[in-house]
Amino acid sequence: MARMKFICDAERCIECNGCVTACKNEHEVPWGVNRRRVVTINDGVPGERSMSVACMHCSDAPCMAVCPVDCFYRTDEGVVLHDKDLCIGCGYCFYACPFGAPQFPQAGAFGLRGKMDKCTFCAGGPEANSSEEEFRKYGRNRLAEGKLPLCAEVCSTKALLGGDADVLADIYRQRVLTRGKGAEIWGWSTAYGKPDAPAAPAPSAGGKS
Amino acid sequence: MTLTRKLPAAERGGRSAARLARPAQTATSAPRTMDRRAFLKRSGMTAGAGAFASALPFSMVGRAEASTASAAGAKVEVKRTVCTHCSVGCAIDAEVVNGVWVGQEPVFDSPINMGAHCAKGASIREHGHGEHRLRYPMKLVDGKWVRMSWDDALNEVSARLLKLREESGPDSVYWIGSSKHNNEQAYLLRKFVSMWGTNNCDHQARICHSTTVAGVANTWGYGAMTNSYNDMQNSKAIFFMGSNAAEAHPVSLLHILHAKENGAKIIVADPRFTRTAAKADHFVRIRSGSDIAILYGVLRHIFENGWEDKKYIEDRVYGMDKIRDEAMKWTADKVEEVSGVPDDQVKLIAETMAKNKPSTVVWCMGQTQHTTGNAIVRMMCNLQLALGNVGVAGGGTNIFRGHDNVQGATDVGPNPDSLPGYYGIATGSWKHWANVWGVDYEWLKGRYASQALMEKSGITVSRWIDGVTEKNELIDQDPNLRAVVFWGHAPNSQTRGKDMLEAMKALDTLVVIDPYPSATAAMAASARKDGVYLLPAATQFETEGSCTASNRSIQWREKVIEPLWESKPDHTIMYLFAQKFGFAEQLTKNVKVTNNEPSVEDILREINRGTWTIGYTGQSPERLKIHMRNMQVFDPKTLKAKGGIDKETGYVLDGEYFGLPWPCYGTPEMKHPGSPNLYDTSKHVMDGGGNFRANFGVEKDGASLLAADGSASKGADLQFGYPEFDHVLLKKLGWWEELSEDEKKKAEGKNWKTDPSGGIIRVAMKNHGCHPFGNAKARAVVWNFPDPVPVHREPIFSPRADLVAKYPTHEDKKAFWRLPTLYKSVQDQFANVGKDYPLIMTSGRLVEYEGGGDETRSNPWLAELQQNMFVEINPKAANDRGIRDKDMVWVKSPSGAQIKVQAMVTERVGPDTVFLPFHFAGHWMGKDLIDSYPEGAAPVVRGEAVNTATTYGYDSVTMMQETKTTVCQIMKA
Amino acid sequence: MKPLIATACVIALAAGLAGCGEKSQVVVYKQGQYQGKADGKPWDNEAFSGDKGNWETAIKARNQSQNEYRRING
Repeated sequence: MARMKFICDAERCIECNGCVTACKNEHEVPWGVNRRRVVTINDGVPGERSMSVACMHCSDAPCMAVCPVDCFYRTDEGVVLHDKDLCIGCGYCFYACPFGAPQFPQAGAFGLRGKMDKCTFCAGGPEANSSEEEFRKYGRNRLAEGKLPLCAEVCSTKALLGGDADVLADIYRQRVLTRGKGAEIWGWSTAYGKPDAPAAPAPSAGGKS
Repeated sequence: MTLTRKLPAAERGGRSAARLARPAQTATSAPRTMDRRAFLKRSGMTAGAGAFASALPFSMVGRAEASTASAAGAKVEVKRTVCTHCSVGCAIDAEVVNGVWVGQEPVFDSPINMGAHCAKGASIREHGHGEHRLRYPMKLVDGKWVRMSWDDALNEVSARLLKLREESGPDSVYWIGSSKHNNEQAYLLRKFVSMWGTNNCDHQARICHSTTVAGVANTWGYGAMTNSYNDMQNSKAIFFMGSNAAEAHPVSLLHILHAKENGAKIIVADPRFTRTAAKADHFVRIRSGSDIAILYGVLRHIFENGWEDKKYIEDRVYGMDKIRDEAMKWTADKVEEVSGVPDDQVKLIAETMAKNKPSTVVWCMGQTQHTTGNAIVRMMCNLQLALGNVGVAGGGTNIFRGHDNVQGATDVGPNPDSLPGYYGIATGSWKHWANVWGVDYEWLKGRYASQALMEKSGITVSRWIDGVTEKNELIDQDPNLRAVVFWGHAPNSQTRGKDMLEAMKALDTLVVIDPYPSATAAMAASARKDGVYLLPAATQFETEGSCTASNRSIQWREKVIEPLWESKPDHTIMYLFAQKFGFAEQLTKNVKVTNNEPSVEDILREINRGTWTIGYTGQSPERLKIHMRNMQVFDPKTLKAKGGIDKETGYVLDGEYFGLPWPCYGTPEMKHPGSPNLYDTSKHVMDGGGNFRANFGVEKDGASLLAADGSASKGADLQFGYPEFDHVLLKKLGWWEELSEDEKKKAEGKNWKTDPSGGIIRVAMKNHGCHPFGNAKARAVVWNFPDPVPVHREPIFSPRADLVAKYPTHEDKKAFWRLPTLYKSVQDQFANVGKDYPLIMTSGRLVEYEGGGDETRSNPWLAELQQNMFVEINPKAANDRGIRDKDMVWVKSPSGAQIKVQAMVTERVGPDTVFLPFHFAGHWMGKDLIDSYPEGAAPVVRGEAVNTATTYGYDSVTMMQETKTTVCQIMKA
Repeated sequence: MKPLIATACVIALAAGLAGCGEKSQVVVYKQGQYQGKADGKPWDNEAFSGDKGNWETAIKARNQSQNEYRRING
């Protein structure tokens, strides 16, 4: 059972913004809407680290919990999506999200009547897969094409990984072992257990799936 | 033979439907119009996007009509191309439906980028939109841009240029070519300019790595990156000095961070704590321009501790003792006085490099753009020679080039001092190329003002402004420049912007040939009323051709889409002008022309037939295309094919290196595999091995310049030093009879560089494992340069009067690249400039933009990420001036120019240095020039160009401009 | 993360308000029921002909493209 996750390797992220423009390109995301962005701490001083952030597709998603019209759902693969036809653009999810993922565009196909827009893990939305309607409202559905999010697939240093959590854990573990030092990734232990221990099994799908 | 793969439509589904540009129609049909308001809404443009003309390109119309377009039955074609933004050479699969570029997919198979892209590569599809492009030919009439037809434009421009040629001779026109042209276009432009009758041509390499090319080639043979991005995976230590690869070559970090993960130590020495420094093990902050002092300090530690490779130096290096003597003079306190770097940090660099071999060095503009650039880069070579790191996997000098094809344009393009393949411009070289071109040498000579001018290096792009404005009696050609053609080159990448504006005013004619109208158009329109022409050129996605990555691998781009708007490919424009100038027939003697478009493949075949010197002869279009469609067989660490048979042709790939990195010697039939690492004696020459080049004679001051006995490439029949091959040597060795009768006829009286049969090369390499260019020592001392042993000299504009007194610059030169060039007199005049201009001003790249930036600032996906031109200033320097973060400030330079930019207060720079990115243009000393662009074609983001404020100063060998170290003062606006 | 924060808030607020004798004002969210349109599965198309296993295999294979170790050592 695949469970889709992103992780970003801060040892590798160079803040090149390839993930950001890949997302813009793939989904025709309008100016002012950032489904993904790169955050840098200690900018310009030793200890500078960057990390690419978008919707983390939480297992227990706060946006889902607070939505007054219950427009969110989680797919079998663990991707958190929402129905824009139902969304009222209230912004409550924006309050709830710890990552600032929800975006509220003013214009364009994504922002009709100020509805919320966010990263879909390149999985489209609740319209027929790969239909025009889906593309206009949610962007391209790469998962249905057997592909993974373009941001992760084109990452310049393969810092941003996106896909099945088990596979990501394997890829990342190999790097950590090669480096010979601990898992520096932010939130790693929260998401996957302590680095020394074997990767925790993916949490079971919960919520409104 | 096509690289195109077809995917079933079902696989693509919604996206192609939604992005379908127009219902299945021909790609050449006229663009339809749409409601502008709707377009603006859809594209999400802000006010900065400017106005739009009534028509939109197909792709935009298509997206707008997405809801009604039907994808039923639409085929998705996949065209394999290569990113046009930097020299890494990232492959891209472009998805095209009905001629519209609808998607881009990563090419995981590429051994170079393995699917990876930076912000620029990941947004490359925007080139299929092109809403900020120059749409049709235009001219300036009474200060306004007016549309004109191609016919009128060609007629008017050619009439004006021919009139100037008549009145003032061919040297009155200056041709600025482009490192963004593909190899074939760059080559054709050099040929075109030669047939026009001048050497007054140049391109971005002059202001990018000219000092590298000259310095490195004079040290050991070829002036190029010795190894590759991929090969850095083999390095145990990597030393960056003057390179911010994380922003300038982001995908190189894929290999570098992989190396780091596997234990490589990374050191970054730079005036700025760059994003590359953030990934390093050690960061050493230096004073800009003090590289030579530091490198001597490093070498002193190496020699003092006996860390040098004594046998290597003995066998393969000439003159290292002189470098050693000089290094010993650079004591710890002297190094620190000049560079600000304490001795323990200098030692750390030395020790890390010496104890973690193979170790490599990387440099870029941070080292090249100085008056001493040629000497700085030779110091890097000397460091690597002392450590025995050259010709070794994981070692070498990894010189990261800038533009996607700046390496190729340097190799075969419009250079003022050489013909394709670095053949020089002496009579013999001209005869060689006249022969390849199939034209009469005497006719060619007749095109020039005189044989003397035919064999005299032209003016450089860094100095064209002086070619216009310098007193006529002081310049080393008859006329001043009266017309300039900017053919794919930004103006804001050259220094002394203030002087450039004056030069633009003084010109009779200014022509811009570019996909984007560029800052040239805006600058000219702000200062002139007429005499300026804009011609729309196609991008590299709208034509096909080959491009050479920094590692010398050559990749073939398929054409993705038809030229947008009324743009034409550069080689078509060259042909059209050649018709007007009356040499179209000579220009394309060996090239098929269809609808005014010369065959790109034919041009490459002609390059193959003439460029023996640097091995551009083996890379036939067929071989390159086979490599492009079989990328998966190449190993990303060695670039070598493990097995692999091309399905279409049955061609065996096994053992070849990806992109046949030059030198790929001999004819394509000889099947040389390309050279992944230069001068590598551990490999046979037919497996890409080699040794240092015998290009500087066989003896100097009684010492042999040839390699020592026992030092030769693996399996060579001659296991000692030997000179380059020619017909005489071949006969002496008794190998002449191995030539075929036909080869003998052609090779008689020739050397390996001029033998049109390739026979001499074949016999030397294939039969005897010997290198055609001989086997010599590298030169630590380059006696034909102004400073044979590198000398630290202060920049022309230095804030340190005490150091100027101790380390003065060169004496003035009277006629240098046809112009008087000042050193000492300017430095003396400004010896105390530090009083009023105490901050060192340096410049560099941002990851989102490239070059002059007109192209990337026109891409909204990129422009959104960097919306303001800025200056990085240290908190101390800012506080002393009452400046807060995000304040607008004036940056004032001793040239009298001042630019208004936003302050970014950061410790990234030290208190004595400020940094400005060089990609911005479109503002002029506080004023937005938006009204000076053709309507709707201004880039999304505009800002002050740093080079408006930069100052005088040029390298003493190549005329490289000194941008990396000048001075300024900053105050709140 | 959320449960931790919620718990912390509950404790903090409970402590702060204890003296007032009021009950906790923390909102306890209840998972609602998704009210929107049903979505299709990524394998319900021509390419994967409704076979989930097929799709998962394809995705896992594709996932390895993000691992340069595989391309370099493979």
